[in-house]
Amino acid sequence: MDSTIALFLAQDGITNGAIYALLGLSLVLVFTVTRVIFIPQGEFVAYGALTLVGLETGVVPGTAYLTLVLGIAAFCVDLVRSPDGRQPRVLITRAVSDLGLPLVLLGLSGVVAPANMGPWITVPLAVALVAPMGAYIYRLAFRPLAQATVLTLLIAAVGVHLVMLGLGLVFFGAEGYRATPFTDVSLSLGVIDLGGQSLWVLGVTAVLIVTLWYAFGHTLAGKALRATSINRLGATLVGIPTARSGLIAFILAATLGAISGVLIAPITTIFYDSGFLIGLKGFVAAIIGGLVSYPISAAAAILVGLVEAFASFEASSFKEVIVFTIIIPVLLWQSLRSGHVDEEEE
Amino acid sequence: MSTPLLSAQTVAVSYGKIEAVLDVSLVIPKGRIITVIGANGAGKSSLLGSLMGILPLAGGSATFEGEPLDRVPVEQRVARGLCLVPEKRELFVTMSVAENLELGAYHRPRSEAKSSLEMVYDLFPRLLERRKQAAGTLSGGERQMLAMGRALMAKPKLLMLDEPSLGLAPRIVKEIFGLIGRLRDSGVSILLVEQNARGALRTADYAYVMETGQVTLQGPAADLAQDPRVIESYLGISGGDSSCSLPSSSVGATNP
Ligand SMILES: Nc1ncnc2c1ncn2[C@@H]1O[C@H](COP(=O)(O)OP(=O)(O)OP(=O)(O)O)[C@@H](O)[C@H]1O
Ligand SMILES: [Mg+2]
Repeated sequence: MDSTIALFLAQDGITNGAIYALLGLSLVLVFTVTRVIFIPQGEFVAYGALTLVGLETGVVPGTAYLTLVLGIAAFCVDLVRSPDGRQPRVLITRAVSDLGLPLVLLGLSGVVAPANMGPWITVPLAVALVAPMGAYIYRLAFRPLAQATVLTLLIAAVGVHLVMLGLGLVFFGAEGYRATPFTDVSLSLGVIDLGGQSLWVLGVTAVLIVTLWYAFGHTLAGKALRATSINRLGATLVGIPTARSGLIAFILAATLGAISGVLIAPITTIFYDSGFLIGLKGFVAAIIGGLVSYPISAAAAILVGLVEAFASFEASSFKEVIVFTIIIPVLLWQSLRSGHVDEEEE
Repeated sequence: MSTPLLSAQTVAVSYGKIEAVLDVSLVIPKGRIITVIGANGAGKSSLLGSLMGILPLAGGSATFEGEPLDRVPVEQRVARGLCLVPEKRELFVTMSVAENLELGAYHRPRSEAKSSLEMVYDLFPRLLERRKQAAGTLSGGERQMLAMGRALMAKPKLLMLDEPSLGLAPRIVKEIFGLIGRLRDSGVSILLVEQNARGALRTADYAYVMETGQVTLQGPAADLAQDPRVIESYLGISGGDSSCSLPSSSVGATNP
């Protein structure tokens, strides 16, 4: 392997690593706030990517209808379940967020899809179509289980993953798609060309990570989210509505997943089931961070990306095996260090 | 008498089959310190938890400023001025002292929070010194100060304190009781749960004694301090000025 190839692989690895970092951060966020090991994270990636492809090729994507259906379901369930949900003020807010928002998004898709608009319109719309699903899924599947054990929550997460996978097949079919790059500019750095899409991935990831770092460290809402993840009872006692913290975590996770999806859609061919493997690599990073540390997860994500890139060059048929093997020494080390896993309730 | 700040009627709390609190009724008038004393496992913490809304009521009801509390979620109780410093403190251990305090004022406007912060730093200069330190690295006494400071940031009308003297040196205990008295004088009502019966009865205006989930005695704190049954079970016979007296049955019952 000469240095040009090494540089090229490094670029590839870091680009993918950035995506895994976003997914790893989402997983850490969701786990620390809600204790849900969020297996379906990768589905948001596939949904985001394939929604973008749909909008580009003139089809109103199935996700636009799915968001509406989920919104209606969440609205009805809350109507039945929540005691103070029938006050007019609450009803109006819920109607806007659960029915109005998805309807508007569906309408927009109907206008945007046939009009062949550029990435400045289709990309944000694709993200906006997928992001609200995080909120609806949390309310339908996880909020009712807020007191359940980590294992029960994990089983629910696997269930949601399977349902989303099936719906993905229904909406997008078994074929793989690739979106057009946001730009065809590329940056020439001596021997190698940095692809325009790679620059987008790195730039957007960097901006998102800095924004999240700022929000969690310096805004009251961000601190409230962290407080919920550190000590749920303590957070409740200072008046933080912890169910809303969970909601915000899920919306952020869906948004970051969808953004990852639209960012890689022009680099990789995405199938309805591609999300799982991509999410799993974010998961490896999150596990290395012990499901609690953001900086370690982000660094681990870059490492996973690099290992994957070099493995695919040196031993391409073992690529995935090599990547997932990283997790074994980490798990061993973690179990030796802590001796046992803490389970809050039980 | 005007409407009490908080009133609880025949409150019951149970954990599955275990009935921790049975038919407890109590009244907290405005601007008073009410204490609940009792042996380990008497149900004191469970009572506070149910008033705060973190434990469901198995029976009975409670009102705050005349309005029923059932179905009011915890965050709204906090916003209305009900605040609990729990036995285990429940601090945000990996956040700084300053962040813990800031979150204490979560539901209040930022400008008001700022003046409360100055007030808390005035009360506990130690917290000002340690403001950048992670809460988890504080000493036991400092944690207690932080827990109280965090609760005061919410500007409570009723502050419920679960064993504020737990694990503290006698001199600090005295300071804490002194502070509780001053808080009352500044208009905050206090519900004080204590193992340190002597200190509690000296500080409080009115007292309840709980045994196995029920109130067995109540009366003005000064009267109860003279009651032979209380003296025998909770004050011991020593008349010294040690502020630490525990019922003999509680040996070894420290919290993690
Ligand atoms: N989560 C729980 N599950 C089961 N039983 C519980 C639980 N919490 C408390 N109990 C039981 O309820 C009873 C009352 O407990 P509580 O903590 O209210 O007592 P306490 O008066 O605060 O005691 P202490 O002075 O030791 O703090 C005890 O018998 C205890 O074992
Ligand atoms: Mg207790």
